[in-house]
Amino acid sequence: MLDALDRELLKAVAGLEDIPKGAYNIRKNGKLLVRETSANINIETNAEATGIIVTIKPATRNESVHIPVILSQAGLYDVVQNTFIIGEDADITIIAGCGIHCGTSRSEGHAGIHEFRVGKKARVKYVEKHFATGPGKGKRALNPTTKIFLDEGAQAEMELTQIGGIDKATRLNEAKLDARSLLLITERVLTDGNQSAVSKNLITLSGTDSRADMISRSVIKGNSKQNFYATIEALAKCFGHIECDAIIMDNGTNETVPSLKAKHPDAELTHEASIGKIASDQLIKLMSMGLTYDEAVNRIIQGFLMK
Amino acid sequence: MLKLKKLSYSVTDTNANNETFRRNIISNFNFNFDGGRFYAITGPNGSGKTTLAKLIMGINPVTTGSIIFQDKEITSLSITERAKAGIAYSFQHPARFKGITFRELLSIAANTEDETKLLALIRRVGICSLSFLDKPVDSKLSGGEIKKIELATTIALNPKLAIYDEPDTGIDLWTIGPMVRLLKKEQKQHETTTLVISHNRAFLEAADIILLMNKGKLIYTGNLTGALPLLTDLSMCNYKECGEENVRCFR
Repeated sequence: MLDALDRELLKAVAGLEDIPKGAYNIRKNGKLLVRETSANINIETNAEATGIIVTIKPATRNESVHIPVILSQAGLYDVVQNTFIIGEDADITIIAGCGIHCGTSRSEGHAGIHEFRVGKKARVKYVEKHFATGPGKGKRALNPTTKIFLDEGAQAEMELTQIGGIDKATRLNEAKLDARSLLLITERVLTDGNQSAVSKNLITLSGTDSRADMISRSVIKGNSKQNFYATIEALAKCFGHIECDAIIMDNGTNETVPSLKAKHPDAELTHEASIGKIASDQLIKLMSMGLTYDEAVNRIIQGFLMK
Repeated sequence: MLKLKKLSYSVTDTNANNETFRRNIISNFNFNFDGGRFYAITGPNGSGKTTLAKLIMGINPVTTGSIIFQDKEITSLSITERAKAGIAYSFQHPARFKGITFRELLSIAANTEDETKLLALIRRVGICSLSFLDKPVDSKLSGGEIKKIELATTIALNPKLAIYDEPDTGIDLWTIGPMVRLLKKEQKQHETTTLVISHNRAFLEAADIILLMNKGKLIYTGNLTGALPLLTDLSMCNYKECGEENVRCFR
């Protein structure tokens, strides 16, 4: 069912060697390839047939859902709208991602629009990886949108990674947090050559004692460009933090704009941002332990992007 | 095992009239370090101790003079080449990383990822808790924690020559004694030639030989007893030279 190319893409974006166990939905070239549900996890095509609805029963524990997308059809721009409804008190991991193999001069792309509705006291870990490869000269575009709604006491941990090969990416993340909910977003993006990536984030802390932490790590190589915009808006007593670091290598450029809006007197919002080359003290430390300059650079970038 | 011959290091500076001139940081420094001995380098702030250590490690380029390590000229070698030759450097202000753990640094230093060996190394260093192993070496570490990690990664390299730049910075009073004993133990058991830059009496007392520096020059070598009158003299008050009568001496 899966050919060698499918396997390569699935491994890169979802860590899958084969069809996974448990619930999954694998989409290939704009169509459903294979789907499996479980006693607690239902996956169905939405009414408009534009994507899927994944419903997790309340109190579901220690289960995971894989929903990778793979593209290898020249000229296809696949748009999918997926909804995740996570029942109260559930604890679930969702592994998504898109792998593109471009073998021709015609461009390929994917826009995954994901909406998460996380019930009271539910926890979700969402892991999304984007990767493109192939010998073709066609442009590879990925434009993911993630919308998160956290009910009271819910927790979401989002790991969003673009690991290379994407020519153009525009990412949009939006979140609304109710009382005592917690959101942690970690975004890691590597660009090279003439690639460009834009990340726009809006987190609204609307409930009392809600907390959000947004971490962005960017590595900008070659002549590539990355822009990062993040806004945390506080409407209640809450805590929010943005940490965005960009490492520029070669002739890369970066614009980083963290923005904090406190609309409540007890809001506590902070940010830290940095753009620059790899710190020389880090390089010197690793070289003084016997690594070459290039080995030291690789080690630092690997740690910066992967952890 | 380490010979510094007519070593000088100067930088371009500008005076009050915006005219450039060469300022000497290290001037005509000559010294032979014997293998397996414990040296303490001390002297007032700005006397060139760290610069000298960085010249030995290759972090700063030598302006004139030469460095011979184990009978080989290393003056033009890179930091990496010197590290591979057996020189290790423990930084006064260790680098902090995002995404690198103590385990990873220790693995690089010890050239192994074997858990048993890493744990054995931590036990050998003694002053690091086992719980440090998976801590990120980032800005969240306290000053004392990162210095202990720095020391451990230096020892894990099994260097022939270990340079410790103010290892006691940020370390609590209760750890300084064990730290001194650790460096002495490493010196004795592994015959590590040890250079410690310090103002701390505990390190000065532990040293076989003290090198006293002032204004980029070596002004004394010998034991602590002989160094004490000079140390007392140097600690009188450095502010006098400024001619500022209102500046109080706190030393």
